[in-house]
Amino acid sequence: MRKKTEETERGHKADSPVVSRRFLLGHIGAVGVVTTRASAQGSPGTPIRPTSNTSEPARNSGYVPVQLRVNRSLHNIQVDARTTLLDCLRESLLLTGTKKGCDHGQCGACTVHVNGRRINSCLTLAVMHDGDEVTTIEGIGQPDNLHPMQASFVEHDGFQCGYCTSGQLCRRWLFCANLVAQKTMMSRN
Amino acid sequence: MPATEPMLTLVGKPTSRVDGSLKVSGGARYTSDYHFPGMLYAVPVSATIARGKIASLSTAHADRMPGVRAVFHHRNFDKLYRTAPDLKAEALQSEQRPPLEDEVISYYGQYIALVVAETFEQARAAAAAVRVTYYAEPASVGPPALIEGSLKVESQRGDAPQAFSDAAIAVDETYATPIQTHSVIELHATVAVWQGDQVTLYETVQGVLNHQVVMTQRLGVEKEKLQVITRNLGSGFGGKISEWGNSCLAAVAAKRLKRPVKLVISRQQAFAAAGHRPRTEQRVRLGANKDGRLSSLQLDWTNSTSLLDDFVENCGEAAPYLYSTPNMRSRSGLAKRTVGAPTFMRGPGAVPGLFALESAIDELAIRLDMDPIALRQANEPTMDESTGLPFSSRHLTECLREGSSRFGWPNRNPKIGSMTRDGLVLGWGVAACAWGAGRLPCAVRVDLRADRSARLACGTQDIGTGTYTILGQIVAERLAIPLGKVDVVLGDSSLPAGPLSGGSLATASVIPATFRALDDATASLLASAARVGNQFWNNAKPTDLAFTAGNVHLKDEAPASGRPFAEVLQRAGLRSVSGAGQSDGTLFQKPTSSVHCFGAQFAEVTWQPEIARLRVSRIVSVIDSGRILNPKTGRNQIEGGVVMGIGMAIFEETRYDPRNGAPINSNLADYLLTSHADCPEIDVHFLEYPDLQVNELGAKGIGEIGMAGVAPAIANAVHHATGIRVRQLPIRIEDLLGAQRSAGRI
Repeated sequence: MRKKTEETERGHKADSPVVSRRFLLGHIGAVGVVTTRASAQGSPGTPIRPTSNTSEPARNSGYVPVQLRVNRSLHNIQVDARTTLLDCLRESLLLTGTKKGCDHGQCGACTVHVNGRRINSCLTLAVMHDGDEVTTIEGIGQPDNLHPMQASFVEHDGFQCGYCTSGQLCRRWLFCANLVAQKTMMSRN
Repeated sequence: MPATEPMLTLVGKPTSRVDGSLKVSGGARYTSDYHFPGMLYAVPVSATIARGKIASLSTAHADRMPGVRAVFHHRNFDKLYRTAPDLKAEALQSEQRPPLEDEVISYYGQYIALVVAETFEQARAAAAAVRVTYYAEPASVGPPALIEGSLKVESQRGDAPQAFSDAAIAVDETYATPIQTHSVIELHATVAVWQGDQVTLYETVQGVLNHQVVMTQRLGVEKEKLQVITRNLGSGFGGKISEWGNSCLAAVAAKRLKRPVKLVISRQQAFAAAGHRPRTEQRVRLGANKDGRLSSLQLDWTNSTSLLDDFVENCGEAAPYLYSTPNMRSRSGLAKRTVGAPTFMRGPGAVPGLFALESAIDELAIRLDMDPIALRQANEPTMDESTGLPFSSRHLTECLREGSSRFGWPNRNPKIGSMTRDGLVLGWGVAACAWGAGRLPCAVRVDLRADRSARLACGTQDIGTGTYTILGQIVAERLAIPLGKVDVVLGDSSLPAGPLSGGSLATASVIPATFRALDDATASLLASAARVGNQFWNNAKPTDLAFTAGNVHLKDEAPASGRPFAEVLQRAGLRSVSGAGQSDGTLFQKPTSSVHCFGAQFAEVTWQPEIARLRVSRIVSVIDSGRILNPKTGRNQIEGGVVMGIGMAIFEETRYDPRNGAPINSNLADYLLTSHADCPEIDVHFLEYPDLQVNELGAKGIGEIGMAGVAPAIANAVHHATGIRVRQLPIRIEDLLGAQRSAGRI
């Protein structure tokens, strides 16, 4: 219900595909087509960024339009129905701070926040998140503006290779944010 | 510490990582984070038999699937080459056969095809659509049995068998360790980008230079046309020294399709085809007199290896020099199995070897009714008896003494199951540990810049150990500039040739070259200073000038009277001066001393017989590895080693299906690793005796020593708690069920 309202608010066409369970099951394992990544300039060594937040239209029914609000910025993209949220963030939106460690929901390196909840982004498909609000490590703090939790990880050397650190931070950041919220509520009561 | 040594203000002080803020904000770039315009995605297809031949391989369906640009296999792939024998540790390579060479299969998970498509999803779907039939032969994944006639002598002195049969007290036991998989959190990956006949490989490797040599040989291209980049590595543990096929596959696919190609293997593929620590079976025979003096020490072992490669897990690494005994012999054997190529894994050889030796020493102490620390101290050698050379620096007895006091060992009651706390049975165990030390050749370039910053460039890499930071500390200390003003550039094979990050050798190796590069840059700075001498120093010659604490000054005047180097460069109209430094390796020179690091591991376990629950509750790790350049990252290294040692002791084992040779628990849930909840309190203590025979700062490596000795300390503690001697890792609940019965708890 909530989703539908948001779609209307954003002015989606009435016939935009609604992702149903049946639709998904029908497309998992089926064939997709053509990359929809926006073309961009870049030389070797310089990772590219999409030139716009709006991608080309899908050229096949295997692709589904999805609107994601990631780190407060809106992305209207076409995704292969088989694409996990993790691969969508990394390979389509080029937000590579979120990491793939196992692709099976076992390690947590891919943890992101969706609508304020922590999830393993490798265990969910991007098409299931139309209209959702996603926060990744890039949205928590930047090198010159670290969140206190990030600064604390540096101060206490809470990592070595740093590969799964994004996932650990995303997990703890929300945990602590919830604790603070709870405490505030309790002290109010 | 020599009296002449200047006070160090930054080196040796706990320092936060210079790359820390990038790593906590998702900005540190790892191999699979690279993207290029037009990049294709590659997914390998893996064999599903242990051994045999491909009977048929059909790509008819996969070829027609959307987005697929190519399906490569042994009939249409480029010719690749094997690597030449590596005599100087410049091209370490565990698996000799390049991928897709022919139709022969020698292990489950061997790559047999590669699908390249526009997207990862398309490539993965098409990979699943490649149809293969096989002529299959049986798997062979059993234990590597010791076969007396096939053993090769590795180290020998005196007559160990005779002394053993003459010994008053003897221990003769066989120990076993399973196949362990590195389980690096960053999956092996390659992004290959060709520009004309030049290729850049973004790689997950522990040695960009090593990989460059291996890949030039594999692909048959010239070195100057092949660049390897690893800016950050998501851990290696020895498993990312060799090339595992992903690099060859991506490089050839990118060349053939004239587009960049990204290949990231799956977790299952990492278990099957990207190396592991081989399985070992080790027979230890100790002979001693009634005072506990060792008269004979023998360690015979066999380790599993792949059908095509002979990888010797050197279990006898520490046995020849750890204890004093006139009669010693170690011998090795290999057992061919249908598994992928084994490779180096944290403390290769020494770590499983010390499990056997240090368990046996504990068994000997019990037979002698002697304290295990006293037994070790009674057999402390005065020199390396295997070579007759003096130790460059050895403080093992102090490690044991210091650890004993920190752990509270004097309060130990040796009677089995006699110690309790909060209703839990306590077990206390100890083990000694050792690991080799030395240097690899290294070259470094340093630039001093007119904006009071500096740049250090070296073709080594930071695999998470803190190499960026220690190099920054050394340069910042010497130039008296803030750490943030030093750019450390690593992880690129086009930089001055640096060491691989393996064998705990990188830190020791980069120091001399860095010092020489700084000296060289200083000479250039002083020459520049002399050029503008009339402004500051009344036409002084370079030889009249000195550079101290960031200032250029007249030799016979105080440094404070001089001018900062940045000002000198500005006056001279220079943007920067450069210096190059080079140092040789020690591994292939005739040694003049025996160089190692040492340590003592103390473990406490708690045992709850009612529910058969075993926990590791406390570890004290005392390490003697020279000067610690950065105690903050150094402690982290030892803690990481300890955590991996706990995994080895009670969790880790890769198990294989005897029918088809498949690793069964090939994922991060079924391959048990030490989790946060399993981690005990870890007390790390460094004895800091700078070993100045290794380098100017007396620093040796600490990447591996932290893991060595942990598993036997835990096994010894388990025996103290339960009375059960577990000689086959990992220690399982099933092993300890007998202890419940004897304790009358079930």
